[in-house]
Formats: sequence, structure tokens, C-alpha cells
Amino acid sequence: MDILSHLTPMFFTLIAAGTLIGIIFGAIPGMTATMAVAVCLPLTYAFGLVNGIALLLGLYVGGISGGMVPAVLLNIPGTPSSITTTFDGYPMAQRGEGERALKTGIVASIFGGLFSAAVLFFFAPVLADFAIKFSYVEKFLIILLALTVIASLCSNMLMGIFSGVLGVWLSLIGTYSITEGGNGEPRLMFDFMQYYLIDGFSLLPVLIGIFGLSTILLDAENGFADAPGQGRIKLQGGARFSFSIFKGQLVNLIRSSGIGTFVGMLPGVGGSAASVLAYSQEKNFSRDSSQMGKGATQGIVASESSNNALTGGALVPLLSLGIPGDSTTAILIGAFTLQGIQVGPLFIGNNMDTWYLMIIALVAANVLMFGIMYFAIRHIAKVIEVPKYILYPLIVMMCVVGAYAINYGIMFDVWTLLIFGVFGYVAQKIGLEVVPLIIGFILGKSAEVYFVKSIESYGNLTIFFTKSPIAVFLWVLIAVSVAFAIYLRVRNRRREASSLVE
Amino acid sequence: MDSHWLSLFDVTIDFSQSHLFFPRIVTTLLGILLVMILVTRYRRIMPALRHAGRVVGGREGSFDRKRFFGTLVLVTLYFYLMGVLSDVFPNTGYSFLIMSVLFVFSLSLLYAERLSRRILLIITLNALIAPAIAWYVLAQLFRITLP
Repeated sequence: MDILSHLTPMFFTLIAAGTLIGIIFGAIPGMTATMAVAVCLPLTYAFGLVNGIALLLGLYVGGISGGMVPAVLLNIPGTPSSITTTFDGYPMAQRGEGERALKTGIVASIFGGLFSAAVLFFFAPVLADFAIKFSYVEKFLIILLALTVIASLCSNMLMGIFSGVLGVWLSLIGTYSITEGGNGEPRLMFDFMQYYLIDGFSLLPVLIGIFGLSTILLDAENGFADAPGQGRIKLQGGARFSFSIFKGQLVNLIRSSGIGTFVGMLPGVGGSAASVLAYSQEKNFSRDSSQMGKGATQGIVASESSNNALTGGALVPLLSLGIPGDSTTAILIGAFTLQGIQVGPLFIGNNMDTWYLMIIALVAANVLMFGIMYFAIRHIAKVIEVPKYILYPLIVMMCVVGAYAINYGIMFDVWTLLIFGVFGYVAQKIGLEVVPLIIGFILGKSAEVYFVKSIESYGNLTIFFTKSPIAVFLWVLIAVSVAFAIYLRVRNRRREASSLVE
Repeated sequence: MDSHWLSLFDVTIDFSQSHLFFPRIVTTLLGILLVMILVTRYRRIMPALRHAGRVVGGREGSFDRKRFFGTLVLVTLYFYLMGVLSDVFPNTGYSFLIMSVLFVFSLSLLYAERLSRRILLIITLNALIAPAIAWYVLAQLFRITLP
């Protein structure tokens, strides 16, 4: 077995290190799993593919899990996906049950993480097998579907679509690549820019700028006021944690993990959507939801199992279709490209060993996350006190390394970081949606190749509808996602209207 | 007749111009969407801009101008000087090391709420040690290209 030779102590050490760093990033409000992955990217340049992946998956799982710490202790979600953990976690912490709340969340997290890893393991190869038969036409429609789903689920559909199209537009800057069958001509820029932009903007500096630097700018604007002074929260004093909390929670665990996994698979739908959905479903379906929002463990279980289930879910479209499921997997796609791996329908079949190792790394990251958090939660809770004036300068520094080293030393990539850092800041200020923009940017170039090649080979626009039953089915899905978005909008508007009348 | 009807959708792409085909479509789409956004919310744009101007000008809200623009200036200087200095010490990473120490120190000073001797000591040590570790691990151990 070739796989066993990769399961070195180094492999597991890197997963543990990644998980720990991820937890720390997740635990600091304002810093997310995405940022953790972006900042640690330079380290993976030096490791091989397998060890690099081990580190990155550890960071991903740790980053999502760490978010519960400030959610419970400070009432501030450390990552967007732990927003619903604050609803019940903070009231429990105020009663002196902080440790109980955190341990409940940790157990729920590992359940969600392992659940989604299992779904990934069984479902991704099936989807990939199906997608192998796709021609350029279906591939283009898949990208169109992904962008439609993302845009239609944004809080403002028009801005969502605009952001997605803007992302595609930005990705087209550069030359029409000869290796993809293009003619190698530059477009969408002035002559003097050709020297810098001949290959367009590099993906990773763009991502690091938008998720790293612009976050810092957003925080700098607020002047680093101390976190709302609620005083120190006692970890212990109230009821103790015991596994009996989970008696009768199995349905909740499975339902929430299922919701998390499914939402993770939808491209571009953020973690907060998963936990909010799981939380509200638990509220609707549980026999007794009267205590939810006042410090009920079932709320934490729903929230934390669903947000950890995102990890496996988001990897499904990434590994089977090459479409990232969220912002963190968007950076992962860059890291894979860096290691010379093209993710897409052929990935799993051609890289069986890597695929199994990824599953092992994902499971190990969840187990290690559980071990680290369960036994060291009291020490981790102190991380949220590390001042930002120490952390942020170091993050900018690591962002520079990541951007500079990506193409082996191009200073323009560092400037890309600044350009997109400022751009990301302005974009969020004027209401552009960052996630559709990023996904559009990642998929834009492939969309062009698939679209142009389809037309070049068939010479007729109707081919997009008549190529195959799959093409028709994809159009149905696109129509359904648009219709569903409009339905949601109308319903919400009616609800608002009726609540105004009352 | 059927094929005649379908030929309405015939498209041929001249290979020498194929690099412009998709960008043109996307640019047009982007323009249409921009117009739609401007039309549906033109009433809100001017007041929002005026509000933003007042916030950045410091007449309204709690916009920390010193830290925000300080960050931008420091980051720009950091990138620029690092590029300049890397021509002096090519392929060693010294430029990264020197500029990072200066940058981390000044950005920490800018962000710190209040300065006591203890905080100053922590900031100084952090600015000296962290870039040195990063430089040693990345440039020396892992042989990663640094400016």
C-alpha cells in the first residue's frame, strides 16, 4: 500500500498544528478559517502535496470549530458560522456554565465533522463519475448554475448577480490563454498594463487581499475599541458537563449535520446560513423549544454540529466538480493548483491515494480538534485576550509572504494584495457581495473556455439547450433556483408587510 | 423550415478575435446590471455618498482616520520599500526581514490603545522576534523565495 507510507508522524503533526492554529484563528473574533488558511499558505509551498493538504484541512476544521469560544464567552461569534452559538452559549456562560456549553459544542462539532466526512467519502466519487461525461456545454452550464445559486441566495439578488459578473470580468483580464486553446491576445486592459497583467491577477494574492487585508482595514476603521466590556466570564460554577446532555439529541444531531452538509455543498452559501437554518429547524421540530435562546444545550448542538458539517459538504463540489463551496475552499483550490493538481471530475479517479489521504486527514483533523479543544479548552479560552496590535501586523507580514512566493518572487503579486485589499474594503462598504465575486473570479476563465469552445464546435447557440438531457436538467435547476429565490423574497416581503400591519 | 428557424442562432467566432468574444458579453452584461442598480437606487446613492464623505471627514460617526489611513500608508510604504531594498539584497530575504521588523513595529505602535513601558517592550520584542522567526523558517529552512 502506497498510502501507508504517507501516514508519517509528520503528517499527523501537521494536522495537529493546523488544527491548533485554526482553533486560535477561529477563536479570535474577526479572524476566520479563511484567513487562517490564507496566512498559512506559504508554509505549504515547502511541504509536498500530502503534507500541505494535511496542514490546510487541519486549519479548516480548527478554524470553524474555534469560533464557538468567543461566541460562548463574549457573545461575539468568532466566525460567522457560530452566530447561533451565541444565542444559547452566552446565557449559559453567564450562569457559570461556560465549560459545559463549550464541551457540548465540541462534541456536537466532532459529530457534524465526521458526519460530513462520511457524506464526502461516499457522495463525491459518485458525483465525479457523473460529471466525467460532461462536455464543454454541460461544464459551462454547471458554472452558470453555481453562479445563479450563489447570486440568488444573496440578501440582495441584483447586487449578488452584479458581484458575480464583476468577478468573472476581473478574471478575464489578461491574455486568452493559448494552453486553453485561446489565441494568446491580451484584453480588458491598456497597453502599459500588459507587462504586469499578461497572466491576469493571480488567484491567491486576490483572495489573500480580499479576506486578509480588507478585514484588517475594516477593523482599523473602528479603532480597535476593546470588546464590549462584559467582564470576565466564569467557565465553571454552574452545572457540569456530562455526556447525558446528548440523550434525546440524536435526531437534532443528524438533522443539523445533514443541513450543514447540504448547505456546504451549495456553492457560495456561507456558514451562517447553515447554522441559522439548523437552529431554526430545531426550534420548529423539537418537542420542547421553550428554553432555546435562554441557554439550552440543544441550541448549541444544532449550531455547532451544522457549522462543522459544512467542512465536508463544501469539499464535495470542490473535489468532484472543481467548484469551491465557500470562501475557505476557494483558497484551497488555489493551494491545489499550486501543487500542480487540477481539481475537477477527474481528480478522485486519477489521484486515488491523495483522495484517501484527504479523507484520513479530514477525520484525523476532527478527532484532533476534539482532543485539543476538549482537554485544553480553558487555555484556548485565553487566546481571545491576545491584543490585535500584536496579531495584525504579523498577519499582514504573512500575507506578503504568501503573495510574493506564489509565483516565485513577483513583486506585482504583492501589489495585487494591496489593490484587492482596498477593493475588498470598498466593495463591502458599497454593498457588493464578496463571496459571489470570488467564486465568479475563480470560475470565470473556465466559463469563457467552455462557452467559446462550445460555440466554436457547434456554431449555434441552441446547443446549450439541446446538447443532452443533462443540459436540459441543468437549465431546470437554474430555473428552479431563480424561482425559489423569488419565492423567498416575496414571502419575506409579505411577512414584513404583515408584521408592520400588526 | 425547422433548420431555417434555428439558423437564426448561428454564431461563428473568428479565431483572431476570439479573445474578445466572451469579455464583450460579460462587459455588456456588467454594464446592463450597473444601469439597473443605478436606476433602482439612484435616490439612495447621493445621500449615502454624502454620508460617507462626512464619516471619512470625521464629522460624523466613529471613523478612526488615524488608524485607517495610517494602515494604508504604512502598508504602501512597506511594499514599496521592500521592493526597492530587494534590489540591494537580491534573493536573500534580507529586504523582507528588515522591512518587516520596521513595519510590524510601526503598525503595532499605531494600533496600541495606550502605551506603557511594558506594552512598548512587548511590541519591540514582537517586532524583532516574529519577523526573524518567519524569515528563518521560510527563507532558510524551507527555501521559500522572499523579497
